[in-house]
Amino acid sequence: MHDGRRRDVLKAVAVTAASALAGFAPGVDAEDRAIRSRPLMTVRISAATRQTFGPVPHGTRTFVPVSGGNFEGPRLRGRIVPGGGDWLLLRSDGVLELDLRITLETDDHALIYMTFQGLRHGPPDVIAALGRGEVVDPARYYFRTLPRFETSAERYAFLNRIITVGSGEARPDGAIHRIEEIL
Amino acid sequence: MTCRPLMRVEVVVPPPQKLGAVPQGTSVIAAIAGGTFEGPRLRGKVLPGGGDWTLLRPDGVLELDLRITLETDDGALIGMSSFGLRHGPAEVLAALSRGEPVDPSEYYFRTAPRFETSAPQYAFLNRVMAIASGDRRAGGPIYSIEEIL
Repeated sequence: MHDGRRRDVLKAVAVTAASALAGFAPGVDAEDRAIRSRPLMTVRISAATRQTFGPVPHGTRTFVPVSGGNFEGPRLRGRIVPGGGDWLLLRSDGVLELDLRITLETDDHALIYMTFQGLRHGPPDVIAALGRGEVVDPARYYFRTLPRFETSAERYAFLNRIITVGSGEARPDGAIHRIEEIL
Repeated sequence: MTCRPLMRVEVVVPPPQKLGAVPQGTSVIAAIAGGTFEGPRLRGKVLPGGGDWTLLRPDGVLELDLRITLETDDGALIGMSSFGLRHGPAEVLAALSRGEPVDPSEYYFRTAPRFETSAPQYAFLNRVMAIASGDRRAGGPIYSIEEIL
């Protein structure tokens, strides 16, 4: 087989596999997409009692301390070290900005510093239900984040070099973030 | 993750300002002279001013910190900022720094743009997260930006 063609075929197979993993909607021509992704990990965050600062110059500020949690993916797993949290800002246009800083500890004892900025918004009744602590299908609101990582552990150094996207699910006791590595 | 095309942004970069070694790495500032953008829902020009503050880290990864202003063809101003990473095989990066055309699939160049605007017709930009794939050309980079759905 011609090298170029072989590469194209391999690429198509890889794209198809990645698309299946990434959950691209059927009918979307994934092969034409410039950007592909693959699962990195699912992070489950347990939140402690929130601290409400109220109106500040940029909106309404709330701090959600992180009390613990865990993370798991094909290449890493472990626990969330208590401490850190998510500094939330409800903007005047109804969009909630998220600004998270936490520490992950892998099962082989590497520390990973994780931060993200994110946005959450949706229909008023859905946001109200979330506010009452109800469980809501995450497909009913927009909750996306851009996690970044820092680590000195050689085996996890790939985290220092990737852009990632998280899909969030608000839970009464915290949040679940399904994070994809942008390839 | 599902996404859809938002726009393609081409910026024109004159010779950059090489600040050299700073405590965090090697700093290069690329001023933005202008450019264009086009997508299904918006199009226009990149205004002169702004720039890309880049930092080559000790681990060989280039961090990008872009801030520019977009002006749509109907006169709205949109602030765009993005954080990005670029890295790849040494010979590929060397070719890029010589200004040679390189297939962007040969290196990793991804950014996460954010937008802000007061124009009601573009307020959706205030509410989206986006991801861009970069193509570094001799005259300046081209960003293919996708909206994260």
